[in-house]
Amino acid sequence: MATRGLALAAGLLLLLGAPRAWAGVPTDQLKAQIDRAIKILENVENKKDTKVQERRAAVRKIANEIFDFGETAQRSLARHWASRTPAEREEFVRLFADLLERSYISRIELYGGEKITYVGETIDGDQAVVRTKLVTNQGTEIPVEYRMHLRDGKWLVYDVVIEGVSLIANYRAQFNKIITTSSYEELVKKMKTRQEEFQQDEPSKRTSQR
Amino acid sequence: MERTRVNIAVGVFLLIGIAALGYLSIKLGRVSFFGGGAYEVIADFPSVGGLKAGSAVEIAGVEIGRVEAIKLVEYQARVTLRIESSVKLQEDSIASIKTKGLIGEKYLRISPGGSDKIIPPKGRIREVEAPVDFEELLSKYIFGKV
Repeated sequence: MATRGLALAAGLLLLLGAPRAWAGVPTDQLKAQIDRAIKILENVENKKDTKVQERRAAVRKIANEIFDFGETAQRSLARHWASRTPAEREEFVRLFADLLERSYISRIELYGGEKITYVGETIDGDQAVVRTKLVTNQGTEIPVEYRMHLRDGKWLVYDVVIEGVSLIANYRAQFNKIITTSSYEELVKKMKTRQEEFQQDEPSKRTSQR
Repeated sequence: MERTRVNIAVGVFLLIGIAALGYLSIKLGRVSFFGGGAYEVIADFPSVGGLKAGSAVEIAGVEIGRVEAIKLVEYQARVTLRIESSVKLQEDSIASIKTKGLIGEKYLRISPGGSDKIIPPKGRIREVEAPVDFEELLSKYIFGKV
């Protein structure tokens, strides 16, 4: 059950809500977005099998608006970001966003009434950390930290730390390993093939899961 | 004549012994030789679980400094690091507390970032990862499965 909760916590990072014109306290913004996302997931209409695509699309849209994929991609690529051309960077951000989507969006569908409590926040200039706890239906608490930064008056999430494990640190280590042992081109190739495989697998996997 | 030779031999042996002792105490005492050429940065962790003053700070497995001090600030652990001045840490570097092997000692690993901004001396590493508490995780798995 804890695995499910973890997967869900990971999934929820993509669900952080919609853009707001106002820039308030990070927690308020985050909470508004998560609540909005949960509403989509709890909607009985949306739970029907036929609605899977639409629900995914809705979730994806929210994720794109609130998640700073560019920043996450840049930080994950770390030292290797500087030597990329603008075109390469653009391509990488797109591939990376796809990777996050296919890793987490399917897990969001596991949502089953877990509660989220907001523990506290720390603001330091244009950066903030919002600490939350995901409480599973069995009462297990999973600490989830959202690292956000202020961009054009909006707080955007660039990293999620679940059980003390950072998403960026995880991908940074993996990318660094691939780039140093082979090359950047190899990494891009790998990400592209995965995406193609995923697109081919998706329809069959979805029917077998249900 | 015989006696002098024995005396010299004993003296040399003693000197070697003292030199070995000195070497050992420097090695074990973890005296930092980059005392002058180092700078301090801080990092706040929700928990340091086993990290101690004197623990190693590594990038890619290479020691680049040591943990200078750990103290409690606002119920968080504030870790002061001494980093060799030749090593620059980018603003988005991540400091993680890791374990050597499965049950080894704790050390602090820094994964360098890609930002243009460098953390200045007395600056702070914002991105941190606390050590994973295996016992806690284990109990979650055990008690979670009801």
